[in-house]
Amino acid sequence: MDANLKFTRHDQNETQVVLQVDGDVTIHTSPRMRDQLKPLFTATMKEIRVELNGVDFMDSSGIATLVEGLQWARLTGGRFILSGLSENVRDVFALAKLDTVFDIDANVIEEKSA
Amino acid sequence: MTASKCIQDVSFSECESSHVGKLHLQINCNSDCIYVLRSMVAVMTTRACMEARQSNRVSIAVDELFANISKHAYGGKAGRVELETFIEVDAHGEQELVFDFRDYASLGWKGSMEEAAERSIDVENLCPGGLGLKLICSAADHCEHEVLSDGNHWRLKFCINKSL
Repeated sequence: MDANLKFTRHDQNETQVVLQVDGDVTIHTSPRMRDQLKPLFTATMKEIRVELNGVDFMDSSGIATLVEGLQWARLTGGRFILSGLSENVRDVFALAKLDTVFDIDANVIEEKSA
Repeated sequence: MTASKCIQDVSFSECESSHVGKLHLQINCNSDCIYVLRSMVAVMTTRACMEARQSNRVSIAVDELFANISKHAYGGKAGRVELETFIEVDAHGEQELVFDFRDYASLGWKGSMEEAAERSIDVENLCPGGLGLKLICSAADHCEHEVLSDGNHWRLKFCINKSL
């Protein structure tokens, strides 16, 4: 479960990057996501996209890490985008009343079991 | 830590003649226990025939409450936690999935579940612990907390036949 959290960085060009996340983001794995995320926020990077279509479960520590990303983006002037949220992960953002705070791509993927 | 040290007692009572039974678990707070809790949640939400999103909300609330007890009540050290989960029918005839947590931490939590539920999240000054409590109160349909002479009692209730 948690041990399988994987990250893949896709540099689109010098100013755009995508971080693909696959696995459960929990109190045990979110520090690793933070370690992957933080170096992406530089003065030259204008768009940081986190692709979450491989994430089925995210707890408050995962959301807190993404809130940090939002704060880093504001400091560096980049755009921070979340995309590919499953229905479950999007629901957690809604429960925390943070779904309108983030720049979230409108497309919601179908649950894998569907 | 090995599983035998983590899980001290597991009993399945009242399950013999019904698929709606009661699960009781006594564990030590440590990170491995989260897998046991996830399994219990999966069993009970399946018994309750909850759909995926509602089941995820139960998982979130139970995970977050256990993490809060482990981190804040016991300060990250091992500590005794008892968990009981069952399905009951309320006064209006509606079925509810109930999770009772009991810890034996030396300090009782002084906060208010109602305040936590209403609190808005300050994105600029995020407090991760506050976010967890917010999720617990938002995911569960009813939250209770009682300070006891030797710890805390927590109860989470989830309406089973609710449309999300």
